[in-house]
Amino acid sequence: MNTKRLFINVKPGKTFLDRLTGKTKVRLFLILILLLIQTWDIRLILPLLLLFITALISLKPDWKKVWGVLGFIILVNLFNLFLMWLVEPDYGLGVVGGSTVLARLSRFYIITAETMWYFFVRFTKFMATFILSLVFISSITPSEMAAGLYSIKIPYKICTIVSLAFRYIPDITRDFHNIKISIQARGMELDSKKTGLITRLKQNVLILAPLIITSFDRVGNIANAMDLRGFGKGKKRTYYSEHEDTDGDRILRPVILILVVVFVVFVVRGFIHPPVYQVWCPWIS
Amino acid sequence: MAEPVIEFKDFSFRYKSQNADTLKHINLVINKGEKVLILGPSGSGKSTLGNCINGLIPFSFEGEIKGSCKVAGIETKEANIFTLSAHVGTVQQDTDAQFIGLSVGEDIAFSLENDAEERSVMLEKVELAAKAADIDGFLSEVPYNLSGGQKQKVALAGVMHNGVDILLFDEPLAALDPTMGNTAIDLIDRIQREQERTVIIIEHRLEDVLYRHVDRVILVSDGEIALDTTPDELLRSDILKESGIREPLYISALKNAGVVFDREDHLEDINTIDISRYEQALKSHFETHRASLSNPVVSEEVILEVRDVSFSYESVKALNHISFDIHKGERISVIGKNGAGKSTMAKLLCGIERPQEGSITFKGTNVLELSIREIGKLIGYVMQNPNQMLIKDIIKEEVELAMVLNEYPQAEIDANVESVLRMCDLYGMRNWPVAVLSYGQRKRVTIASILSLRPDILIVDEPTAGQDYHHYTEIMSFLEQLNREYHITILFITHDMHLAIEYTDRSLVFSDGELIADDNVFKVLSDTEVIRKANLKETSLVTLAEKAGIPPEEFIHAFIEEERRIRNEHETTVH
Repeated sequence: MNTKRLFINVKPGKTFLDRLTGKTKVRLFLILILLLIQTWDIRLILPLLLLFITALISLKPDWKKVWGVLGFIILVNLFNLFLMWLVEPDYGLGVVGGSTVLARLSRFYIITAETMWYFFVRFTKFMATFILSLVFISSITPSEMAAGLYSIKIPYKICTIVSLAFRYIPDITRDFHNIKISIQARGMELDSKKTGLITRLKQNVLILAPLIITSFDRVGNIANAMDLRGFGKGKKRTYYSEHEDTDGDRILRPVILILVVVFVVFVVRGFIHPPVYQVWCPWIS
Repeated sequence: MAEPVIEFKDFSFRYKSQNADTLKHINLVINKGEKVLILGPSGSGKSTLGNCINGLIPFSFEGEIKGSCKVAGIETKEANIFTLSAHVGTVQQDTDAQFIGLSVGEDIAFSLENDAEERSVMLEKVELAAKAADIDGFLSEVPYNLSGGQKQKVALAGVMHNGVDILLFDEPLAALDPTMGNTAIDLIDRIQREQERTVIIIEHRLEDVLYRHVDRVILVSDGEIALDTTPDELLRSDILKESGIREPLYISALKNAGVVFDREDHLEDINTIDISRYEQALKSHFETHRASLSNPVVSEEVILEVRDVSFSYESVKALNHISFDIHKGERISVIGKNGAGKSTMAKLLCGIERPQEGSITFKGTNVLELSIREIGKLIGYVMQNPNQMLIKDIIKEEVELAMVLNEYPQAEIDANVESVLRMCDLYGMRNWPVAVLSYGQRKRVTIASILSLRPDILIVDEPTAGQDYHHYTEIMSFLEQLNREYHITILFITHDMHLAIEYTDRSLVFSDGELIADDNVFKVLSDTEVIRKANLKETSLVTLAEKAGIPPEEFIHAFIEEERRIRNEHETTVH
């Protein structure tokens, strides 16, 4: 059967990152994402971005898919920055702390070095976050994610919901496809050239009724199957997919620890000596 | 010394939402190491009985319990499902939904994970269980790539850990083709013998379960135990005829020939019956019926022509140069194992997929130039699961939906829908909500909703999947009537051999994308080569005929005609 997956792996891959335990993957991802969120310093963001790109390359992903998504994200992001500029052309003054005019398009619309710098940092930060997420999603299986989340003390019932969702997405997609075909054969025109958007939306809603009913049937069966095999029995749970630590896990454990310390230091310092301007800029500070 | 592991004492159960007891005054003892078949039609309470043993009742299905039910010495209403699951392993009917893990290994490990077992121990136990269930070597496989039979093995392996001593199988044959079904029954048998576990099989397909020995059959009817005896004793009696269970075909054939069995006969296996004792009776009975055998009259009019059609999914060849004709009013069974190409063929006929080569012509019109919607008016497709087709809340609205979507004038819709509702015996119920209907009634509504467009050909996908003999007969008689009275051509996609033999005249058999047989159904199903390739199994009628020295093809034919006559007489006396 054809299993269409976007980036989600069901089987673990073979590269260095793939072979790490779910625990390491989840922890590393979380600490890196936290670090990124709290910083506006390009001296940290840029090396991280390069690191993430290297990580992405190391996974040997399907580049056609990656470029498709990346292209879309870059466009949306640039458009977003453009809108920000339209609303507030001198944005950089507030967050970077200067207004060096490079060009003047009208009385209101100016291009300043600081605003451009801010946009550059913002863009880099966003791309770093996005590529980090992409690396995370492509290198982890849903089972490892459940195990990883459990390792950071999230209740296992929630962890299981996460992996179950991934388990049944293909089944539900198939149901949806079947229902759509049967209703098309009964006379529904889903061809975009022949019917308007509103009609098509209404018709897609019709498909939902049988889809929900079939999904409920399924949910009942799954719940029984889980009860029968003792799901929810104890307070603790172990994970089949959570294999023994590899060398990679052992190396990364202190790294994660250091990152946590760095994060805490950054946050504490930010509280004690809040910077005058949010974004570090080489020609201002 | 017999040691009871399951004991029901004057046990009754009523579901919370119902006002009558589903199980009434059950008294039943099952001993350690026994292999027991719980037999009964849908709605008889046999699954409810199973759920009382594994603890789903009262844990997941609430209701009122009277009397006592002890499993492994534990009073179930005082225990919880987790204590019981340490003693009872349940393999459910839906092989797909009970696959919880994202890989075979993970699914087998699920209950061990819940026990918070150390991973190193877990790996060993998974390996052990996988070996016992004959699924080792697939541990890293994902569910989407497994067949129904393989998923069932995984489910079995997943409930065998830690010395679970009772294994409960809820309709293990429902989702499997005949060959896979045999494999499953074989595996259950082997596990019971080698590991000395108590095995309980809940099924309505008696003949298929009896492929391997069972110690005892418990016949459940209307929430009560109608009979608790050995298979031989059960088969000797005439109780099956009234209970909505299909008697093994060889038994029916022998009984039809006037044979009365005695204590000498070991009836549960056709190979242990001394046929020579009854050869004379069978032969003379056959000869009297042989003369009146009639071949179905096939109309000259070809309504669908399939010529040299080939189709591939990406790079996998699904159909290879297929050609056949369909005449008006024919009843055809399309058979073959999963992945053989039969569903693909149906999709091509309905326009869901388009062939890469070849042509499909409907009464001179090239179907390949029409849209799915236009083809829908010529060829109707009834899906296996009615819940995937039902959209509206009220029966009448559901039936008229296709005509509304096709923008027919209201007057025509009203007239047509009324006649279709009457055809399908739904007119009296036309304003009922769909939600209150039984599975069989839902099926009938979906067929009505397709018929409203007046297609000339109806393709019905597994019309009887998961149905017991009574409901099966009901659906099939209805379809037969549509064919007889309204001359609708029907194609059945199925791997149910009884259905093919009893309700169709011609079979198209697919195997690995090739059409390997296209002939009279009796001929096709007595051809061992075709049977093997299509994952079917030889019907016991063929075995019986061969043993008695009667040509199998004609013997099956005579048997089916006789059964049909008996059924029709029965129907006329009922009405």
